[in-house]
Amino acid sequence: MKISYSHLVSQIKENPSIEMISESLFQLGHEHEIDGDILNMELTPNRGDCLSLNGLLRDLSVFYTVNFKEKIYSEKLDKLQLDFENLSQNTCPKISFLKMEIDKIPKEYNQYLNDYFMKLNLNKNNFFTDVSNYLSYETGQPTHCYDASKINGKLILQELEINQEFHTLLDKKITLSDKNSFFSINDEVVNLAGVVGGKSTACTSGTKTVLVECAFFEPEAIIGKSLKYDIQSEASHKFERFVDPESHDYVIRRFINIVSEHANIKDMSFISYEYKKKQAIKIPVNVDKINQILGIDITEDQYVNYLSKLGFIINDDLINVPSYRSDISSQNDLSEEVARIIGYDNISKHKLPFVKGKTSNTDSIENKLRFLLIDHGFYEVINFPFSNEKYIDSIKIDNPLDSNKEHMRTNLINSLLENLAFNERRQKDSIKLFEISDVYNFKNNKIKKKRNLAIIASGRVGHNHIDFQKKINKKYLTNLFKDVLPSEDFAIKIFNREGLNSKIKNEIVGCEIDIENFSTEVLNYKEETRPPNSFKKFSQISDLPSSSRDLSFSIKDFSSRQNLEKYILGYENELIKEKFIFDYFYNENSAEIKIGFRFIFQSANSTITETQVNNVMNDIIRHTEKIKGVTIPGLN
Amino acid sequence: MSSNKDILPPKIIKDKGAVHPINHMKDSIMNLLVSFGFEIIDGPEIETEEFNFDMLNIKKTHPARQMHDTFYIENKSNLLRTHTSPVQIRGMLEKSPPLAFISGGKVYRKDDDATHLPMFHQIEGILVDENVSFAQLKDLIYKIVHSLFGEDIKLRFRPSYFPFTEPSAEVDILSTEGKWIEILGCGLVNPIVLENCNIDSNKFSGLAFGLGIERIAMLQHNMNDIREFYKSNLDFLGQFK
Repeated sequence: MKISYSHLVSQIKENPSIEMISESLFQLGHEHEIDGDILNMELTPNRGDCLSLNGLLRDLSVFYTVNFKEKIYSEKLDKLQLDFENLSQNTCPKISFLKMEIDKIPKEYNQYLNDYFMKLNLNKNNFFTDVSNYLSYETGQPTHCYDASKINGKLILQELEINQEFHTLLDKKITLSDKNSFFSINDEVVNLAGVVGGKSTACTSGTKTVLVECAFFEPEAIIGKSLKYDIQSEASHKFERFVDPESHDYVIRRFINIVSEHANIKDMSFISYEYKKKQAIKIPVNVDKINQILGIDITEDQYVNYLSKLGFIINDDLINVPSYRSDISSQNDLSEEVARIIGYDNISKHKLPFVKGKTSNTDSIENKLRFLLIDHGFYEVINFPFSNEKYIDSIKIDNPLDSNKEHMRTNLINSLLENLAFNERRQKDSIKLFEISDVYNFKNNKIKKKRNLAIIASGRVGHNHIDFQKKINKKYLTNLFKDVLPSEDFAIKIFNREGLNSKIKNEIVGCEIDIENFSTEVLNYKEETRPPNSFKKFSQISDLPSSSRDLSFSIKDFSSRQNLEKYILGYENELIKEKFIFDYFYNENSAEIKIGFRFIFQSANSTITETQVNNVMNDIIRHTEKIKGVTIPGLN
Repeated sequence: MSSNKDILPPKIIKDKGAVHPINHMKDSIMNLLVSFGFEIIDGPEIETEEFNFDMLNIKKTHPARQMHDTFYIENKSNLLRTHTSPVQIRGMLEKSPPLAFISGGKVYRKDDDATHLPMFHQIEGILVDENVSFAQLKDLIYKIVHSLFGEDIKLRFRPSYFPFTEPSAEVDILSTEGKWIEILGCGLVNPIVLENCNIDSNKFSGLAFGLGIERIAMLQHNMNDIREFYKSNLDFLGQFK
């Protein structure tokens, strides 16, 4: 919601700057951004009472002297004879109507009305609608204006299941479906209650006789409708957050006053229907309770003073909650009012005495399996549970984000297969992944939960001279668990590559087990790896292709080997992403060591070129050639 | 002069994997809270409206209950929990005060952009005892934030709204760039919630807090796109050894 700073400050005696107003609003819990003269308010959903100029001024009264300057029509009003029936009194317990005729439509607006449209950059519509919109901005109460000359039958308000096309005054046609609260005339919907009026009875630039509707709708009747029908509606935003049911008389009289400042009113009459009065809320004055809740020490006088500033009336040790404060009904609610006024940051800390809890179960079989896998080069992944696969026991999501993924996964392994293919497409030659997660299924009308561990692996066993030549297979994975959990069957299997969208041919092995069905036998394994104590800064990932080069050396002078390894493994270049020894062989007969290094290149900014790679490789070769007793076979 | 060790094969540098950074962050925070005295409890990700909303004083009109914010399943018979708070409800129904629980795990909301995902992780804590106050809640929050971001970090409390806490607050920290960044929500447990869990709100009061793990992890790892966590990209996961 946008509110003009100049509109606020014009009613504040102290004339605070926009920064001061901003700070005050912030302390009161009203988040906003400043855009020139405009405060873009983001109010919490419980503070519907602040969705207006006057609403914010009421809260700012805590810090400033606010003079509400608006004038209202104060004379007695004739009773309107209106053919109206409310068949939905539960959703609309109070509704008022004003009928008014003016002599001519004003060509110019008074400064404050013009100022409203200009400062908030709003388009004008027609006179009565413009007054209605301004009034909603000023008071927070939406009103709807019908062109009275177009009302040619009984006006009925009802809440019904309906399937009917409705042409809105925004010139948009929508099809009403399911249950809606609406006004109709002769079975035609003329107003979607609290959301948007209809075109057939809308005011136009020629309207001189208006029927103004001022209603209180229960938020339940309105909520979700504007979103459902894709209608931007300031009115529904306010009704959803509760409007003041006691404001009708004031709002109607203010409407009359604004009109009278622009035109001569030839005739007007008013009627208000109240079917069920909202119970006034009264809370006992109990400053001790407030002090206990907040951990502060204020006097009753201070407390009463704070609440009075916010419009609460205190009589006979009872706090009368204003009708516009639908969010206040308990001592805790009142304590928040006090905290807002004092300022949350001004409340001192008090030491919290602790109830001693139990320690976490870090020795759980789940954690032991997790660290066993990490020690063997596996990475933990977390996948979304939404799946395009439908099994007989899949749980269906009623409102999926993506209609192609409208089921909950019943296994983890299929997600891991997708992760594997993703990494293969990123030129990874050793992929070892696992996931531990709950999975759910739906059987016999019951939801069942399992705690699963899934593992997938493919490619090389590792990036060192022993593991590089070995390929991951069923035996590799079986051996991983054979010693530490000999009694458990992990049911390791080979997976089909069909449908994986990957050109790699390596065997894929994996398994999925229900951890909770594991025996209680403690996993006989002491982890080597622990997660780091600090949190590493993230480096941007390159999505560009990588390139690899191998360099093999012959070493006759063994004392030079350490120099060679130290030089290459310590070699830094921004294009080298990874380097490791992939081959080692000591030939006793020829008294020679053969050692191979692999370099993986990738650029963060552009696709790496042959020249770039060659330049780095030549630099390495140039330096290694100088190491005594080390040669590169095949290089002259 | 060469020695025998010069011909020994190179030391095998075994490739180690890594815990997912979100689980690492979750475990770190949980361990911290356990060290403060909280007990870990768990609950299901598939919940009922009663536990996810009603018991927490989230009224039928609250926007969070709409189909555009919450994933409902099997003809609205259940839903994917939108927060870990229902676990606290289950905990309070099982045990009597004084109590101090934390729970962490996946939660689901119908969002998908660079800063929001349909699935993310939360940790929530609740402490119920006699005479628990907002001033004590502040003490706890200061301890948590200082443990996570260092003693020098500046933080501020501002009023907010959660149906299950009253008063409610959001807590921001001041970044090195001078911007306030929201990191957690907290408040005193709404007495209605205590009564819903058969706890005498005249005798007991409680404090509660909740934080999004991804948000803390993004701050700690200096990331700006939450989606990186869930691509299962080895180039990403390999950074968190």
